Amino acid sequence: MRKHVKNVFLWVFAGVAVAAGVLLWRGGEGEEKGRRIIFIPKVIDEDNDFWKLLIEGVEMAAAENQMEVMIVAAETEDDYEAQNELIEWAIGEKPDAILLTPSSLTETTPYARKVVEHGIPLILIDSAIDEDIADTMIATDNVKLGEVEGSYMKQYATEESRIVIMGHVEGSSTAIERENGVRKGLGEYEDRIVEVVFCDSDYDKAYELMKELMEKYPDIDLVAGLNEYSAVGAARAIKAANRQDRIRIVGIDSSLEEIQFLEEGIFEIIVIQNPFKMGYLGVEAAEKILNGEKVLKKVDSGCELITNDSVYTEENQKLLFPFREE
Amino acid sequence: MSEEKGCFTVLSLFKSVKTTVLCLFSLLIIITMAIFFLISMDYTEKTILENSTDYTSRLVRQLNRDIDSYIDYMENISSMVIQGGDVQKYLFAEMPEEDMEEAYGRIVAQFNTIVETRQDISNIAVVAPDGKAIINGGRDRLNENVDLEEVEWYREAMQTTDSILTASHVQYVIRNNYKWVVTLGKGIKDSDTGENGGVFFIDLNYKLLKDLCENNSLAVNSYVFIVDKSGKIIYHPKQQLLYNGLTTERIDEVMGCGSDGYFITRDSGGKEGKLYTVSVSEKTGWRVVGVADISELMKNKEKTEYIYMFTSAILLCMAVVLATFFTTAITRPIKELKDSMKEVERGNLENTAVAIYSNNELGSLGNSFNLMTARIRELMAQNIYEQEEKRKSELKALRSQINPHFLYNTLDSIIWMAEGGRNREVVRMTSALAKLLRQSISNDNERIPLEKEVDYAGSYLTIQKMRYKDKLEYEIDVAEDIRKEEIINLILQPLVENSIYHGIKYKGSKGLIRIVGYGEGEKVILKVIDNGIGMDEKTLKGIFDISKKCEGKQGVGVHNVQTRISLYYGAGYGLHFESTLGEGTAAIITIPRNFREREE
Repeated sequence: MRKHVKNVFLWVFAGVAVAAGVLLWRGGEGEEKGRRIIFIPKVIDEDNDFWKLLIEGVEMAAAENQMEVMIVAAETEDDYEAQNELIEWAIGEKPDAILLTPSSLTETTPYARKVVEHGIPLILIDSAIDEDIADTMIATDNVKLGEVEGSYMKQYATEESRIVIMGHVEGSSTAIERENGVRKGLGEYEDRIVEVVFCDSDYDKAYELMKELMEKYPDIDLVAGLNEYSAVGAARAIKAANRQDRIRIVGIDSSLEEIQFLEEGIFEIIVIQNPFKMGYLGVEAAEKILNGEKVLKKVDSGCELITNDSVYTEENQKLLFPFREE
Repeated sequence: MSEEKGCFTVLSLFKSVKTTVLCLFSLLIIITMAIFFLISMDYTEKTILENSTDYTSRLVRQLNRDIDSYIDYMENISSMVIQGGDVQKYLFAEMPEEDMEEAYGRIVAQFNTIVETRQDISNIAVVAPDGKAIINGGRDRLNENVDLEEVEWYREAMQTTDSILTASHVQYVIRNNYKWVVTLGKGIKDSDTGENGGVFFIDLNYKLLKDLCENNSLAVNSYVFIVDKSGKIIYHPKQQLLYNGLTTERIDEVMGCGSDGYFITRDSGGKEGKLYTVSVSEKTGWRVVGVADISELMKNKEKTEYIYMFTSAILLCMAVVLATFFTTAITRPIKELKDSMKEVERGNLENTAVAIYSNNELGSLGNSFNLMTARIRELMAQNIYEQEEKRKSELKALRSQINPHFLYNTLDSIIWMAEGGRNREVVRMTSALAKLLRQSISNDNERIPLEKEVDYAGSYLTIQKMRYKDKLEYEIDVAEDIRKEEIINLILQPLVENSIYHGIKYKGSKGLIRIVGYGEGEKVILKVIDNGIGMDEKTLKGIFDISKKCEGKQGVGVHNVQTRISLYYGAGYGLHFESTLGEGTAAIITIPRNFREREE
């Protein structure tokens, strides 16, 4: 009898204990994660919409995921040595993940390997390296990007065409892939490419190069810029020489100047990437990797062709002009 | 409990009524409490959700009114500018250059004042189809690459006298501007033609809208966004993400709300729901949508849940303690009744009355039990009395058996002696017989003084001695102090008779029978000792059986004596034999001294 009573009490207390335990356990959930990541783009350039938007995307995603993000970069896009030093420094900082836009397809690789060897998740953004060691890569399909340009030019190409490709950084994965894309898009007119030059992502150098080329080949009719610097630099030269009626130039990426050149009709088309999305997806991928979720080895952030009469369609406004609240 | 019936199997699980009642009580309490708990939680959840919905609805409606008055204010600015007259003058009037300059100056000054005082205005401008335009401080130009006629909001404003509002868009009609804004436009009527001859517009940036939307008092992690009447975004805290397709918003569901209302969404996990509260502005057609995490709204729910659980646990403990207490109180009489019943089962009928002072079933059960035991007691007493009566009548019957038997033997001896002419002996024997008979007749009582019983045995021995002549000798030696002791009659004579017929009769030489009596403590010992043939052990053991078999043939047998003594005096008293083969036998009677029966 007494034993029974004791049992009843035991059960009641066990029940209370379990309930309290559950409540405590549930109360312990949701503490701060406080993850730290480091993003190393090729360059931090407030005047370049691509890098500006890429960084904005990274920062916004980091804020969304309550991450702390540190962004460091070399002075210029092609300074892979400076970037490699920064990678070494970043490894020493022991962040939870490193996001990297490699400056060189080959020279950055050993340092990228170091990141992986230190067990730090590595997310490549925009550009590739020549070894498949990164956890994931978020980039525009650069071949496709070039191909869109090439295909557009093909409509106007003839057997007599002289085609110039204004590249940005020689040896960078994006330059190589985009060039290949352009060639692919041109199809049978590929052999009309008379020269491929590199401006080292410098407006003035692109301008000068374009000027020289126009002198060298007075009958140039098609120009493909492979990034914003090269496209805008070349467009400036064409506008300055008032050759816009005879030279069709197509560009990649967008900036205010580029858009205005497009409005004016100097650019026939521009093909834009989505750097904001790239940066955002890069951080999101880092978050997923750190949470132990699976991520795709390669994510295409997409590209869009904008013609001069579709600049202000509702959709293209969203793509061309980053929404900023000020 | 009721093993025979086997129906209350659940109740049979426990050994006592108390445990059963307690367990059932506890079960009942727990079930009741669980149901109560669940209903309360459900109700609380509903109430909290209802309150939250009410609360957010009110907030969102208020926010919508604030936005309406903001737009009102902007419309007032545009009306003020348009009705100032300078704009019309500048656009339509044919005036000398100087007046024109003057009007232009006044408009620019007015625009500057407005832009300087309002941080939330990006651009303020007047434009006309002919390319006349005053934008902000007059420094900005129209974008020459844009044909105004192709700009939708411009066309719309030209066609109506009401003000028009755009969704979020890039302001590309102004050169080098390209800011994301919401444009409020109003056609400017040319009084000469009666048609709109230009458009005044204000571009609103997101400063104020953002402030309004962000400084809401909704729950943590909540946000507010605004869409226009066709579902295009006016303001959203994640506008850039939406534009890049990096996040989605439930615009369709918001547009599905006919007027003010709310809906609840569940994400793919089905757990983290969101409460969407929609308020539609009659003025602008804009929908202000408040989005709050259900879990945030339900934060109080967990607290309530905790309190409910805690209270339930405490109440449960108290209830169980009280249940134990009450059960004990209720079942105590049953236990008492059971204990008394056990006593009665053991045969103890004294002091088994139970004291249950209640008027319920248990009380009457106790009373019935008491009545029953009393009745049993009565019946048992009656039974004992009846047994006694029976025994007495049996004794009487036995006693009356003796006389004819013995009489025959004696008379036979007398005849035998008379035939032999032994007159003196005949006289002696006859007088002894007469004495014997007289004693027997005169003594109706079952009990007689010991001396009378001894006399009786003496008379018998006298007769027998005469019959057996020199073969029998006897001695009587009874202590004086026990002579007056009352004993049941006819116990010595049968033993004497037994000694003669079984001991002395077969002995070749002269036999001696001694009757010895003395007191020993609280007992009286009477012995009939003979020196006859004696008995072996086997015979000695079976002596009562043999005697029983021979009963009736030889008068009152030893068995009869034994039965009567033990019946009368109780177990522990009676007759036993000691005997040695060839040396003789002693029959020993043990009876209590000063024994008095209650009756008679």
